Formats: sequence, C-alpha cells, structure tokens
Amino acid sequence: MRKTLLLLALFLSPAFLRAQEFKIPPDVEKLSAKARETVEVTMDGPMLRWASKFLSADDPEEAKAAKLVANLKAIYVRSFEFDKEGSYTSAEVEALRSQMHVPGWSRVVGVRSERDGDNVDVFFKLEDDRMAGIVIIDAEPRELTFVNIVGPIDVDQLADLGGEFGIPRLSAKSLAKAQKGEHR
Amino acid sequence: MNHVDVENDLKNALRRENAPEGFADRVLARAANRGSSPKAVPRNSWLDFFARPLVRWAALAAISAGTIFGVHVHNVRRQRAEGEAAKERLILALRIAGSKLQLAKSKVNEINANQTHGDQSQEEKE
Repeated sequence: MRKTLLLLALFLSPAFLRAQEFKIPPDVEKLSAKARETVEVTMDGPMLRWASKFLSADDPEEAKAAKLVANLKAIYVRSFEFDKEGSYTSAEVEALRSQMHVPGWSRVVGVRSERDGDNVDVFFKLEDDRMAGIVIIDAEPRELTFVNIVGPIDVDQLADLGGEFGIPRLSAKSLAKAQKGEHR
Repeated sequence: MNHVDVENDLKNALRRENAPEGFADRVLARAANRGSSPKAVPRNSWLDFFARPLVRWAALAAISAGTIFGVHVHNVRRQRAEGEAAKERLILALRIAGSKLQLAKSKVNEINANQTHGDQSQEEKE
C-alpha cells in the first residue's frame, strides 16, 4: 500500500508532470537537414512575453494577436517542406503522435486522406474544462508541420485570427463541427 | 706658424672680456625703439578655449555623456530590431497554427459533406 502511494505521489509530482510535456523527438529535429524549407519557432516564457510587447496596439490584427498570446506559456512550431515525397517516415510522425496518448490530452480531429495523403491531427488539452493547450500535427507528402501551443488559448480568438495575417477565417462553429465529425 | 702660436692666438681671441660701458643700456634702448619689449606670445588657437580647467572637465563630461547616450541608443535600436524579429516569428507561428487549423477544418467539412451526401442518396433510394 505504501509503495503504491509513493508511486502515486511520484506520478503526480510536478517534476513528473513537467516530464510529460511534449518533446520534439531528435529524429524530427534532424529533418531540417533534408528539408528544402524549415520554419522553427520556439517561444517560451519570457521570450513570448517580450515578443508580444512589440505587437502594436494600434494595429487591430496585432492587438488581437497580443490578446491571444497574453496568457500563453509557449509556442513551438516546426514546419518542414521537402523537395520529394518520402523524406520522412511514418515512424517519425508516430513518434510525435504517440506522445499525445497521455491523460489530459484528447484528439479532437484526426484525418487520414488516402486520396491526397494528408494526415492531420489536432489535440486539445483540457484542464478544469478549460483549454490548456493545443497540438497540431500535419503530415503531408512533402510537408510535415508540428504546432504546440502551451497555455490557456481561446479557440474563438485563434479562429478570429484565422482571417487575419492572410489566414482564412476559421469559425468556432466550424471547429465545433470538426470536433463532432471526429467523434463519428 | 707652429702649433703653440695657433693655440695662443685662439686663447686670446676667446678670452673673457667685459662688455663696454653702457652696452646693456644701449641694447635695452634699441629694443624699446623696435617695439620688441617682452610680451606674452599670442595663442590664438581655438584649442586655447579648452585650456581652462572648468571647460576641460565640462568637455570630458560631455564626451562621456555623449558616449553613454550613443551606446544606449545603439542598444535600444538593437533591442527594438530583435523585438521586431521576435514579433515576426510570433506572427508566423500564429499564421501556421491558424492555417493548419483551417486545413483540419476543411478536411473534416469535406468528410462531413461526403457523409451527408451519402446519407441523402440513401434516403432517396429508400
């Protein structure tokens, strides 16, 4: 009994919970060597707050972005674009996806398209019924993108930003529909 | 003329003699007539301005302040440039996140539309 309690305490300890944070596998990080174009954005804590200070309040789009990132803890993006198909393996993508099979995270969208080879997964982390994080893994034949947003994120705000910066607008309604579609 | 004679002539020529009487007065009188009385050498360079201790310290303080201000301005500009670059990266990250959410949504909508179309076709058949 004591042993069980000790194990439970260890699993619930902050150190263990921190260890459960999403990590980008080294094999995925190495893909930049093969990629034609690579986007790497790592913004956590102070860097994120510092960058958000430069978002202009006078610019409506940037003001919205500032509001969106105000409570975020980190944003990680890795996007690799390849010249040819098969530049990454399904095992490398699976190494990303498998990390999401932990308590607290749920896959809200999972699309496997045999026709064009696009595979998209969207995972939400909920804490006390509030959004605490989002992970998007998009594996296309010539592109692999991974997005991890840590912290309380308002999907409606993110959806609002969908129409800004040249991004097509994504409504909260459509996102809810997307979640519904996943459960079918 | 032998060597000793030359030496004696040289000694005679270089021997100390007192100035003639009134020599000093005549020299002073002539100098006064030429207007060459001893005066301070005029220093008309603009650098003379900095010869004053107060001005020298003030100049030093101004140079120091200017240097500090210059370094500060440089740092502010550098930080601003780095901040702008970080902001661009942040916007890029949001752009990618938004576009990928949009992609997921469109894929799901596509599947839903196909399913709805299939259901309607089945209902029509029934």
